[in-house]
This record gives sequence, C-alpha cells and structure tokens, in this order.
Amino acid sequence: MGNIFVKKPKITEVDKAILSLKTQRRKLAQYQQQLANIELTSKQKAVFESLKSGNNAIKAIQSEINLEDVQKLMDDTAEAKAYQDEINAILGEKLPAEDEEEVLAEFENLESQLQDLPEVPSAAPSVENVEEELDLPDVPTKPPVVADAVNEDAQDTSAGITERKKGFSFLLLVSSNTSTVYEVY
Amino acid sequence: MQKLGEFKLPNFFNYPPYFTLQPVRETREKQIQLWKELIIDFCRTQKIFVIGLEEDFPLFSNPAIERSLSYEAREAFLSALVSDGRAEWMDKGHRKCLVLWHRIQDWADLIVKFVKEYGLEDSVMTVEEIRSGTESRGTELHGIDRTVLMRALKLLEHKGKLAIFKGTSADDEGVKFSL
Repeated sequence: MGNIFVKKPKITEVDKAILSLKTQRRKLAQYQQQLANIELTSKQKAVFESLKSGNNAIKAIQSEINLEDVQKLMDDTAEAKAYQDEINAILGEKLPAEDEEEVLAEFENLESQLQDLPEVPSAAPSVENVEEELDLPDVPTKPPVVADAVNEDAQDTSAGITERKKGFSFLLLVSSNTSTVYEVY
Repeated sequence: MQKLGEFKLPNFFNYPPYFTLQPVRETREKQIQLWKELIIDFCRTQKIFVIGLEEDFPLFSNPAIERSLSYEAREAFLSALVSDGRAEWMDKGHRKCLVLWHRIQDWADLIVKFVKEYGLEDSVMTVEEIRSGTESRGTELHGIDRTVLMRALKLLEHKGKLAIFKGTSADDEGVKFSL
C-alpha cells in the first residue's frame, strides 16, 4: 500500500535518446567483434587451403616414385657394397705359408746377387783446386770526365774510392755536403 | 586437499557416503547442510547462476572415488537451497535451478553501492552495460545472470530508486537511477 506514494524518476526524451545511442554503440561493438571473427575464420581457411594444396603436391610427387624401384635401388647398392667388401677382404688377406716361403727364398736370392757388386768407396774423391780465371775488362787509364756542376763539389772530395765488382768499375765521389755522384765507365 | 580448477574442495568430497542420500534423519540433515554450503561457495567462485540437474556439473561426481550423485540426491540438495531462499526452480519439472548465492535483496544493495561508487546517480544505463560494461568490470555485477539482474532492478524500481524503460526499438532496455 505504501508503494503508491513512491516517486519514480521521470523519463525524458533525452534519456530515451541516450539509451538509443548506448544500444547502437553496443551493437556496433558486437558487429566489429563479428567482423574480427569472420576475418580470423577466413585466414584460417586460407591456411587450411594452403596446407591442403601442399599436401596434394607432396602426394603427387610421391606417386611418381615407385616403392619397388626404391627398394631395388637399395638392394643393388647393398650388393655393390658387399662385392666391394669382398674384394677388399681378398686384397687384405695374409699370404699362405707356401707363398710366403717362396717370396722369402726369392728375396734371399736377390740379396746374394747384391753381394757380388763392387764396394762403394768410403773416402771422398780428391779434386785439384783450380782457380777460375775471371775474364774481366781492362781498367781504364784515363781519369773520368765529370760535369761542371759536379766539378765544384769534386774539388772538396775527401775520398775517392774505386770499386771493382762483377766486371764494373764505379767512382764514388763523396762531397762535403754529402751528395754522392756515381759514374759508370 | 583436492582441487577443482582453483577451487579447493572440502574433505567430505572424497568420502563416498556423502554421495549417497543418508537414510537417518540427523545424518541426512548434516549431509544436506554440507552440500548446500559447497554448492553456494562453488557457484560464487565460478560465477555460476544456473544448474541443470540433467547436465554435467563438476560437483555432482568425483572420478577419484568413482562416485556420483543420483538425480534424487541432486534434487534434494537444490530443494534445500530453494527452501532457504538461496535458489529458485526455473521450471515446473525441477530440471533447472537458478542459484542465488546473493539473495535478490543483496544484489539490489550491490547495484546501489555500484551506482554511488561510480557517480552514476541520475544517469541512464542499459541493462547490458550493468552486467557487461567497462564500469562493472572487476565488480561482482560483471557477468551477473540477466534474470537475477532484472529481478534486483525491479525490486529497486519498486522502492523508487530507479525506473526501467524501453528505448525506440524493442531490444533497447534501459535504467534511469534516482538515488
């Protein structure tokens, strides 16, 4: 009975508009979620299709390879290996006792033949020391002609050294200001 | 102690006699009391509002001891909750039960508290906004069963604390608070 006098809040047009906007916003969020789900599903489908086509490609390649041929190839390889192993075993075998005796006898025979050879001299052969004569050109008798520019420096020369080496003569003129002139003649 | 997800199960859950309705009255009452508390605690923790008697419900069986509650036992325990005002049958056949781990009045109080805390007095909210909006996130109202929420809102409307109204389209349902 007391509830008759309870005052309810008044609903205005603004309240209704707010409610409509909020409802639309919620619906929009739901649609966005739905779109996201659709996008994800389509991506998953694309991945599935890719995997499927890849699997089909593998199957197609595998269908071209005959299992019997592969087995035969493996058997042939095994046979070849076994054959090679057999060869290796034969080659690696130890000689029989009789053959070994023959080889040793032949070896002794060769050794006895070697004993008949002349002895190797123990001392080194004596060789006369013969001086080789070097055919060198004549030493020039005339003094060297020096350029005028060098001439001035040549007056102060502290030392003039003539060197004979491998058939060439050099005149080394050492000047006071350490400049050196080489003249070949 | 056995766990069901993050929920810690009581010791009696591993004791086979508790999965059979006890014939002796005193023992039966003690058994029903333990099961009532367990159902309420579990539903509050897991935010479960509806229990179907014919559906799989984690508490109705314990594979560890190979025991499960009979239909009769399930109905007995839920009927006891209905008697306490902590649950309601949703159909005449007693196949579905609405669990009120907070009574309707308690839910109404929680709504008032929520409105005051967030400064929503004299504002308009949609019913969906209250149960799944950003404001309600982290509160007990988040994920509340729509039936329970509408019952609590109608109780508050009866007290003049809000008005439930329809928008321009039929699916618009809003609430204007006046606290």
